[in-house]
Amino acid sequence: MDILVFVKRVAATQEEELRIIDEGKNIDLSKIPFKMNDWDNYAVEEAVKIVEGRGGSVTAISIGSAASDEVLRRAIAMGAKDGILIESNETIHDPVLRAISFYNFIKKEKIQFDAIFTGVQSEDDQFAATGGFLAGKMGLPYASMVIGIDAIENGYFVLRRELEGGLQERIKIKTPCVMSIQSGINEPRYVSIMGIRKASKVERKTVKFNDYAENGDAVIDLIKWSYPEKKGKATMLTGEVDAVCKELLEILKNKGVC
Amino acid sequence: MQDEAASRVLVCIQCGKCTGSCPESGRTPFNIRMLVRKKQFNYAIDESMPWYCTACNACTIRCPRDVKPSEMIIEIRASLVENGNIPLAIQKALENTFIHKNPWGKPRSKRGEWAEKLDFKVPHISETEHKRLLFLCCVQAYDPRCMIIPVNVAKLLNKAGYEFGILGEEECCCGNEIRRIGEFGLFEELMEENKANFREYSVKEIIALSPHCMNTLKNEYEDMGIKVMHYTEVLSNLIKEGLLKPEKPFEKEMIYHDPCFLGKQNKIFEQPRNILNNITNGKLKEFLRSREISLCCEGGGGRMFFEPEAQYKRNSETRVEEAKEKGAEIITTACPFCVMTLEEKAIEKGLAVKELSEILMEVI
Amino acid sequence: MGYALIISEVRRGVFEERNLDSIGIANLAGKDACLLIPEGNYNINSNMVDRIIKVKIEESLFLNPLIITGLITKIMDSLGLPDMVIFTHSSSGIEMASYLAGKMGLPIITDISGYEKNGDIFFKSYYSDKVFGQFRKIKDNPLILTVRSGSFKDFATDKGKQVEETTVEGLSDIEERSFVEYVEEEKTGVDITKAEFLLSLGRGIGNKDEIPKFEELAQLLKATISGSRPVVDKQWLPKERQVGTSGKTVKPKVYLAMGISGAFQHIAGMKDSECIIAVNKDPEAPIFQYAHYGIVGDANKIRDKLKDIIQGG
Repeated sequence: MDILVFVKRVAATQEEELRIIDEGKNIDLSKIPFKMNDWDNYAVEEAVKIVEGRGGSVTAISIGSAASDEVLRRAIAMGAKDGILIESNETIHDPVLRAISFYNFIKKEKIQFDAIFTGVQSEDDQFAATGGFLAGKMGLPYASMVIGIDAIENGYFVLRRELEGGLQERIKIKTPCVMSIQSGINEPRYVSIMGIRKASKVERKTVKFNDYAENGDAVIDLIKWSYPEKKGKATMLTGEVDAVCKELLEILKNKGVC
Repeated sequence: MQDEAASRVLVCIQCGKCTGSCPESGRTPFNIRMLVRKKQFNYAIDESMPWYCTACNACTIRCPRDVKPSEMIIEIRASLVENGNIPLAIQKALENTFIHKNPWGKPRSKRGEWAEKLDFKVPHISETEHKRLLFLCCVQAYDPRCMIIPVNVAKLLNKAGYEFGILGEEECCCGNEIRRIGEFGLFEELMEENKANFREYSVKEIIALSPHCMNTLKNEYEDMGIKVMHYTEVLSNLIKEGLLKPEKPFEKEMIYHDPCFLGKQNKIFEQPRNILNNITNGKLKEFLRSREISLCCEGGGGRMFFEPEAQYKRNSETRVEEAKEKGAEIITTACPFCVMTLEEKAIEKGLAVKELSEILMEVI
Repeated sequence: MGYALIISEVRRGVFEERNLDSIGIANLAGKDACLLIPEGNYNINSNMVDRIIKVKIEESLFLNPLIITGLITKIMDSLGLPDMVIFTHSSSGIEMASYLAGKMGLPIITDISGYEKNGDIFFKSYYSDKVFGQFRKIKDNPLILTVRSGSFKDFATDKGKQVEETTVEGLSDIEERSFVEYVEEEKTGVDITKAEFLLSLGRGIGNKDEIPKFEELAQLLKATISGSRPVVDKQWLPKERQVGTSGKTVKPKVYLAMGISGAFQHIAGMKDSECIIAVNKDPEAPIFQYAHYGIVGDANKIRDKLKDIIQGG
């Protein structure tokens, strides 16, 4: 089975405070470290597990600056056969453009595959649209929020999708297909630094984004960035125990949990 | 990389001195003598076993044949690391260290924020004359409870007029625990980045706040030509020279706990005691197991990040009980990991844990 | 005025409350709200929309992105192009929306949580809500949206007029993708990482005997019990319920921490919870720095009062 996995290098912003600069035009990421998108980690692990079991290969593809090579190396260290970078120095905000770029590349280079895996979403923009858009454009069967692959047989994937509230649905999709992988589907292996260094010896191809940008006019415009409404420190609930508890129950009700 | 194993399992005579010294034996399934035996014959080792080791090094120090069992543990861990076969909590600590240069995944840009609690400015090492670097340590740079330690030490050094500078956000994790977890590649990267900074700023001396940092900077960072000391060595000298004068005695009943990385591994027993005896008029209490045979608090060797399966009475609890029996109100120590592991148990039993700098701040 | 085609999220006979946000933004943007829904006994307040189109199709086929795309194309053929096609930002919603966008080559913005009519600007969260990107569409074609739950439901109001209802034919099942069955969560063991509401207990509760009363409260609140490391170490709770660096990392909707001081290693395991409520006797407890709401008080007393109020009715 040959699987393409899309991987993205994203800013590790978990505990960082982000500053908007250039009058709302940009975010200051200069001091923020970068890493492989968490969801893509799960996607690579799942793909590698499948080919380790049944043979085949995994190819990692990334759209990004030259620095994105590090996520390709990581994917290779996890077990991918090789990596391809579609190099663009500008951040591509519109998921439609990213999907079209992948589409053009796959079509032009006649890439063969049985499945395309993406992560459900990326940690930075959380659009969750690239995989689905690509599948729609290619007219391929698609499933998102894949939380478990139960079987691969007779040209079908039997898989489970994560729904809300702990519910899952089991569906069958025909190969070739596109899947967006949900975090928690597996436990991604640890890749050691030495492993990543060894991965540098594997060939990674680089192509230019503009060479695969036909019919890729942006359809949405990012006007500017803004901050959310200020969240102060903890709102303290004060007063008599009775009143405080009633207030607490209101908050719980508003959150929709009880 | 580790082409040759540092450990020498084939010369082991199975005397059992290692297991006799090990803080994990008897309470947990971990049996170091047996693991060495298995390694001698290349038998399979349960993958959960190597993670019990706290890296106290007692086994290696005591072994009559220089087998270096603690190095063997690191080697076993290293091959588990290369296979990606490690507990999730350890994985997270390593990945965080790789990305953020500290195992907690805290922002690198905030590594110097502790200094904002001071009412004087701490210069960057490049701005100092003596090129004396105060090396923070990840725990103390980020953990609210332990942040008081660098704040105190900075104040004390400043009071003594002892010039020092910091790297701030350029400092990376020293890699001591990383090396003990077996991630040699990552250890090398951390070491190289720190060393490059030391070179760039012509650092001549390093004062380490944590015995773990001191240990690796002194013994495992190669060819630095830099003098590395634990801060208690420095403060002990400053008090001796009269540059720091305790103004009043410390009245409470206090007992000193030797941290493994300071005491048994680097033989620094007297300097913390000089400081403490000075201010307690010699009334400092001692544990039965002190100095070379101090009971490991189980904070090292990756145990800060990872809890093994076995449920058992922790050494920290035993230690606190002994302190209480001896009539101590306060347990003092000079290592942030010891502080963190002992404090929880101490509070339950009505004792307090104070790091040495906290004691000094009360009397100076 | 243009119309917004709203694709219902329905699940096992339930018309999800999230759909109100889809209806809300249609109203806010001043579009005729046209709701697409499978035939069936769904409990909808139809006065909130201008038009309802019922489809003669099984629910599971309606939710199939490959099939819904075909249905929507047919609707657009007969009604003309809408200004917006709106989905809920949910597992099925995102799946259908992104597939439709690709199939028809339409612009898409997901997880909308704000809208400004002046300029037709949509607010989309980035970096887990640290900043918002303001977007607008460039070309004149229908814009596909997924809408964040809770963002616009206040704008789903009774229109006070007659709703137009039509019924259309559905499409048949396809082999490329088909529904097999629903799978319920296994009840063996506890996975606190999957809980929406965690009632987390710390050393501040005092002793093991207090646990059963907290379990009763958890039942009343429909919460799952979790705990901090000291509580697990003492074996008041099993290890699988531990939150923290050496336990599990959780991100529930609500994290109600009772008697937890907020040690560093604990915070690391729950700081991304949507709503953190902390109860602790110590006003200086570090957990208050991470909580959204705080109560300085005795966890056991608060527990008992909560139970009284809930059971008292």
